[in-house]
Amino acid sequence: MIAQNKEHLINKYMQTKVNTLSPDDTFAEAIKKMLEAKTNGMVVVNKDFKIEGILSSWDLIQYLVPDYLEEDKHLASFESADVFAKRALEIKDEPVSKFMTKSVHTCNSSDSLMEAAIILSEFKIRQLPVVDENNKLVGYINRTDIKRAIGDVLNLQ
Amino acid sequence: MDKLFILAIIIFLATYVIIITEKYHRTIIAMFGASLMVLLGIVNQERAIEGVDFNTLGLLIGMMVIVSIAKDSGMFQYVAIKAAKFGQGDPKKIFILLAGIVAVFSALLDNVTTVLLMVPVTLVVTNNLKVRPKPFLIATILLSNIGGASTLIGDPPNIMIGSAVGLSFNDFIVNLFPVTFIIGVATVAILAFIYRKEFVFNQDAKDAIMKFKPNEAITNKKLLWKSLLVLGIVLLGFFTHGSTHLEGATIALFGAALLLLMTVHEPEHNLREVEWTTIFFFVGLFILVTGLEEVGALHMMAGKIIEMTQGNVVSTTMVVLWFSAIFSAIVDNIPFVATMIPLIKDIGSITGMDLTPLWWALALGADIGGNATIVGASANVVVSGIAGREGHKIGFVEYLKIAVPMTTIAMVICTGYIYVRYLM
Repeated sequence: MIAQNKEHLINKYMQTKVNTLSPDDTFAEAIKKMLEAKTNGMVVVNKDFKIEGILSSWDLIQYLVPDYLEEDKHLASFESADVFAKRALEIKDEPVSKFMTKSVHTCNSSDSLMEAAIILSEFKIRQLPVVDENNKLVGYINRTDIKRAIGDVLNLQ
Repeated sequence: MDKLFILAIIIFLATYVIIITEKYHRTIIAMFGASLMVLLGIVNQERAIEGVDFNTLGLLIGMMVIVSIAKDSGMFQYVAIKAAKFGQGDPKKIFILLAGIVAVFSALLDNVTTVLLMVPVTLVVTNNLKVRPKPFLIATILLSNIGGASTLIGDPPNIMIGSAVGLSFNDFIVNLFPVTFIIGVATVAILAFIYRKEFVFNQDAKDAIMKFKPNEAITNKKLLWKSLLVLGIVLLGFFTHGSTHLEGATIALFGAALLLLMTVHEPEHNLREVEWTTIFFFVGLFILVTGLEEVGALHMMAGKIIEMTQGNVVSTTMVVLWFSAIFSAIVDNIPFVATMIPLIKDIGSITGMDLTPLWWALALGADIGGNATIVGASANVVVSGIAGREGHKIGFVEYLKIAVPMTTIAMVICTGYIYVRYLM
């Protein structure tokens, strides 16, 4: 049977176990949690579970690179080797709110999967936080979830 | 008093005050004030446009385009890295060499561009040397403004003065380079003495520096040669424009067009890198000053200054030198110089005095006076901004303690130089 008449909603395919950080968590805590969870992205939420931002490994790495090297990339090969460690120690206590990405795309758990697919493909992002009608974080949906849904439609599994 | 006269002065002063307080962006408020001058009929549009010195604008735009292309070749970083290696890892030698490079670059490039190129490489070098970057950064600020004072193209006030008065590139070098050279040497020597305890030699640091391969800084060899060729042509153009009678804008814009022709297919990005906010700031100021001129306010001011100095060349020159320095230490020197140029011309036409020393006094005071405070010149603000982000915040008072004595020494040297060379 081909499931073409079925409604494909986000809440059916999303992951409900989300790795989250608080905006007050430090750089070091963020690194620790990411390493433990073996993930490259975490959602930053306040105590009411409202989304404040998103933190990817890119954000962490970019923050580690001093601005002056970012502006002048051909200098990187001359930089002293201990700057890497020095910089990491320097920023380890700074709060996540300083380097997270603040503008976050989200989708609603009752939206159709097409909505999530559009956002993922348009902004070339890996995962999308899902919120309920009160804007509270309830899960996330990633590229694999979309593929699972396509697999269901095509009866591949 | 005439209504337009009062209106013009109110608009001008209000604009000035807002520029100083930084309540709005200086470009926006200058454009707003300028358009009010025209809108209210203080100066008609035709006169307003005549008041804009397109030679100054063309020169600035041309140089901005050339530098925006040439800097991607890595040539400026190459020179700095090479200097660090030449200094054999000795912090004091490298300090002196880098300060010298800042002075030379800023004599040929705009000061802000110079520090934007030099601060990152300075931080990399001091990280390798394991010394505190702050002495190097303070030297960068001071020497960028001193070096900028030595040529026609080194600092916007000089461009404005040269363009308005018809002074050539060589006129600036012959008259200003000797004194800026002395000031530069004195400044570096005193700084090197003050910070002598920080320049600790370290064998590991030396090894790291000696491993530098300056060629790695060159990211694009073809671009490097093309840029050097065009910079050479532009410099040659400036060295000879006293006799070829080509205007500065002609030379700079030709260089820009030539470099674009040789390196770029789509100029959109490079033309966008021109600091249009600065260019529009100039346009606004030129029109504001034209408004003041039109109603006779500058003529009146000139009369007051002559009354004060009794038309004496020596005292007028000294007033211009020190007043320019103090004023430029506190506020942007560009609006100040834009106002002073027609005012000094008026002093000349009223008294018939030889204006030569006054122009050099104005240039030196406005360019070097900016050194005294951390907000005195755009280059200072840029350096302290980068330093702050890297955890080496240069405090306002901390900077004053070094910079005010250094600037005072520089102005005393200028006073002696101008007196001996032009007034004795």
